[in-house]
Amino acid sequence: MIYLEYAIFQRALLGCVFIGLLGGLIGVFVVKMRLSTIGYSMSHSAFAGAALGVALSVDPLLTAIVFSAVTAVFIGPAADKARLPIDTITSIAFSLNMALAFIFLTFSPQIGLSSEVASVLWGSIVSITNRDLVYLIALCSITLALIYLFWKELFTIMFDRKMAEADGVNTKIFVYFMIFLAGITVALSLKLVGGLLVYALLFNPASSALQYLHDMRKIIFLSPIIGAASCIAGFFTSLIFDIPVGSCIALISTLIFAVSVILSPKRRRRWRNEG
Amino acid sequence: MEPIIELRDVSTVYEGEKRPAIRDVNLAFEGGEFAYVIGPNAAGKTTLLETINGLLPIFKGHISVLNLDVQKYGREVRCQIGYVPQDFMVDPGEPYAALDVVLMGRYGKIGVIGMPSKEDKEKAIEAMRLLEIEDLANKPIGKLSGGQQQKVMIARAIAKEPKILLLDEPFSNLDPESRGKISKLIAQISSEHNLTTIIVTHDLRQMAESCSRAIVMNSGRIIADCEPREALALIEKWNFSDFWRHNG
Repeated sequence: MIYLEYAIFQRALLGCVFIGLLGGLIGVFVVKMRLSTIGYSMSHSAFAGAALGVALSVDPLLTAIVFSAVTAVFIGPAADKARLPIDTITSIAFSLNMALAFIFLTFSPQIGLSSEVASVLWGSIVSITNRDLVYLIALCSITLALIYLFWKELFTIMFDRKMAEADGVNTKIFVYFMIFLAGITVALSLKLVGGLLVYALLFNPASSALQYLHDMRKIIFLSPIIGAASCIAGFFTSLIFDIPVGSCIALISTLIFAVSVILSPKRRRRWRNEG
Repeated sequence: MEPIIELRDVSTVYEGEKRPAIRDVNLAFEGGEFAYVIGPNAAGKTTLLETINGLLPIFKGHISVLNLDVQKYGREVRCQIGYVPQDFMVDPGEPYAALDVVLMGRYGKIGVIGMPSKEDKEKAIEAMRLLEIEDLANKPIGKLSGGQQQKVMIARAIAKEPKILLLDEPFSNLDPESRGKISKLIAQISSEHNLTTIIVTHDLRQMAESCSRAIVMNSGRIIADCEPREALALIEKWNFSDFWRHNG
């Protein structure tokens, strides 16, 4: 393919691989810990951060990361303090961040939605820089190391948080830690799929992998592979048909999920039993 | 002898509720005691267990378990308590083998970062062997029947090698034969290891056969703390409709 001779596309492809791996990996924890609203809440906080960055003439990616990190750090403790489900707090954070994003946009009316902010919203894979790749590789490595180190705790919390707590595991700190990692992953994925579709990267690969296997250790490997495959396929589809890469990735990962549900050996067995 | 578990004037209220789920509870359990908690639905039995292991905060009174203040040292206390929750059922697709779930019981004791050792795995398998579910070790837990899942949860509590066992309706999904067997097994393990054991049940016959102390609860209060036969007589006298519904 002629495109791949250019460094810009090589970087974009590498970005796809790492973002896919990372989204698939973190997604398993997000799905199993039922942190379903985290994805879209984080993406919109990153959007608000990017809008602020543009208004202040600062790197939008940097402000997006800061906004996501602050939201991520705030959500878990706020939910516990208020004794509310995490979903309730993330939904509130979602509307707050959208409101902030539109207020920040009014500070830079000449730029508006047609500029850098829009690229955060829709994604712009070709704008991935070497620095973004370094961030992604670093986050992948840190995430893998932390998951390896705390696998036992994460494994039992994913099974049942209350039982893990009853066994003496400090579940709070690990849930907060996962929310934080999900927030940073979303912020770094914005350039690829954009704020509006980034949660497809968190949910679709993990939900697809869960259809096939009965062993969480294997799911942890399969989900990132599905994530990376969706991103690579989405990237090439986008190049061939000249359509936004984020939409292609979301469509392909949704298609993989639909096929997984149909082919799922778990479901077939259940349907047979029910029949 | 110092009590292993002591509750003084304890009241617990759920978030958003006005009425306490348990109120002014005074109880003490010595090491090796084997007690049943009985009472109609919403009597506060489950709340009592979850208050003892510190899963629920109290708004009044004081609880100490193993000489530790549960409100301050809940995690340390819970590492020493084997807990089986009420009606624990998992989704059929859950990607966990039964052995994984039993082994999880030891995670709090292993501590952060440490990995389960060969000994931990042996303890988990031994607990499964005691409950005669060793052959289910590698089966996904979601594919097991309700009774088998309940045995897995009991094995998880036993594998922990706790000092205290808190079991909430642990026999509800078991057939009568398994119920008798496992009840005897728990009594045997409790006596061999001098475990303080508190079981919440609706099964009055089981209680009369296997314990030395019965605590009767109603509307969040302890209304009797006596011998099982005495408790049965009281229940008959008070005619709790709920008991009759469950015990024919």
